[in-house]
Amino acid sequence: MTPPTPDLRPYLDELERFADGQMGAAEQEAFEIRLEQDPELYQAYQLYEQLSADLRWVAGHETLYQRLLSLDRRLDQRQEALARIKRRQRRLQRQWAVVGGVALVALVAVWWFLMRPASTSPEIAWTRYYVPDSGLTDEVIQESQRPLLAEAMRQYREGHYTPALYTLRRVPTSTLGQDTLTYYNGIFLLSQDDPEQVRAAQPFLRRVAMQSSSRLAGRARYHLGMAYWRNQQITAARNTLRSVANDTRNPYQEAARQLLRSDALPQE
Amino acid sequence: MNTPQQLAEVLTSLRVGNQSFLITFYEQNRDLFARWARRQHQLPAPEAHELLRTVLVEFYDQVSDGRLTKLPPDLRAYVYGMADEQVRAARTTAVLPKAEAGRRQRLLGLFRQLGLDSQKMLMYFYFRGYNFEKMAGKMGFANANVARMQKSICLRKLYELRLRTETAAS
Repeated sequence: MTPPTPDLRPYLDELERFADGQMGAAEQEAFEIRLEQDPELYQAYQLYEQLSADLRWVAGHETLYQRLLSLDRRLDQRQEALARIKRRQRRLQRQWAVVGGVALVALVAVWWFLMRPASTSPEIAWTRYYVPDSGLTDEVIQESQRPLLAEAMRQYREGHYTPALYTLRRVPTSTLGQDTLTYYNGIFLLSQDDPEQVRAAQPFLRRVAMQSSSRLAGRARYHLGMAYWRNQQITAARNTLRSVANDTRNPYQEAARQLLRSDALPQE
Repeated sequence: MNTPQQLAEVLTSLRVGNQSFLITFYEQNRDLFARWARRQHQLPAPEAHELLRTVLVEFYDQVSDGRLTKLPPDLRAYVYGMADEQVRAARTTAVLPKAEAGRRQRLLGLFRQLGLDSQKMLMYFYFRGYNFEKMAGKMGFANANVARMQKSICLRKLYELRLRTETAAS
């Protein structure tokens, strides 16, 4: 057990002033003389010096400890910030990937949308611009006299074009004008909407169109022009339809003009 | 910090209070040490960081006390060895009895009971060696005289704290 250390407090002010160099020259000299003569003061001085040395050690220890602690906090913050940046970058990349994916899907959808009507547009243009022949009316046919013709027209109006064509071919030529028969042969073939039949319809329609004496010549010219168009013979279609459009007596004048004005028929 | 000349200077500069070597060492080795401590002693990162800090402060104490007079050839290995020892000691024996702690350790304990401003002021004066003028500037006091008075009060507070604990112990 160490002996109880003497109390520094009565001397503390003086010792501090001395150690910190706060005394004047005369005061310091007097203090130094007392230090040599007063054993209690001397012991207090030594204790004070020991305390100062200990405190210097403690202060150094504590300074390093606290510096390391604050450095640690700073490093933690930096690492956290870096991790946050990395997380944000990854999130941004993910978002861009999603945006890219959506854009790609949209692009594909737009491409598909743009390409799809191109393949079906001839069909749409055809149904939009073609004015089909309405066929012969019952009054004109006089069914009791020409039953086969009436049957053919009925089948035509109901959309059964092939049977209509067969029936028409059985109609005796004596009961009907040759131009009418030829004309409806062409119409029924064209109505079947098959490339081969459309091509086959052309000679029939051309023959009627050439007979300027026939009342059906104008109509036949229109359907012939449309058959050219359907068969992608653009120049022939344009020329034929132009002559229809210029013919004021032709019942299809307006239909031909509409088609010529539209961009459905490609320019030469 | 690699040539023998520079290594020899480290101890000298540590002894006169230039701690930047240890600060740099901590900054460069913290993560590496944490990985080692996790593998070797299953310590989570915050505790490993604390262990390294404790070991570095202990190293500094050894240097400033004069217990360490020669810088070990491989400082990293030395520090790791100290950490190893510390972990094993903590596992086998509990905290050292209070009575066995040295005079300085006791003073350190008392020092930590002071207010933060008092601690800062005493560190400025006794470690950094700031004069009263500079201390007044750092602490925001009106002049050097106020700084001197404040430091005096802090020292007195610490001394009285020590007196009280000593009388209580005896």
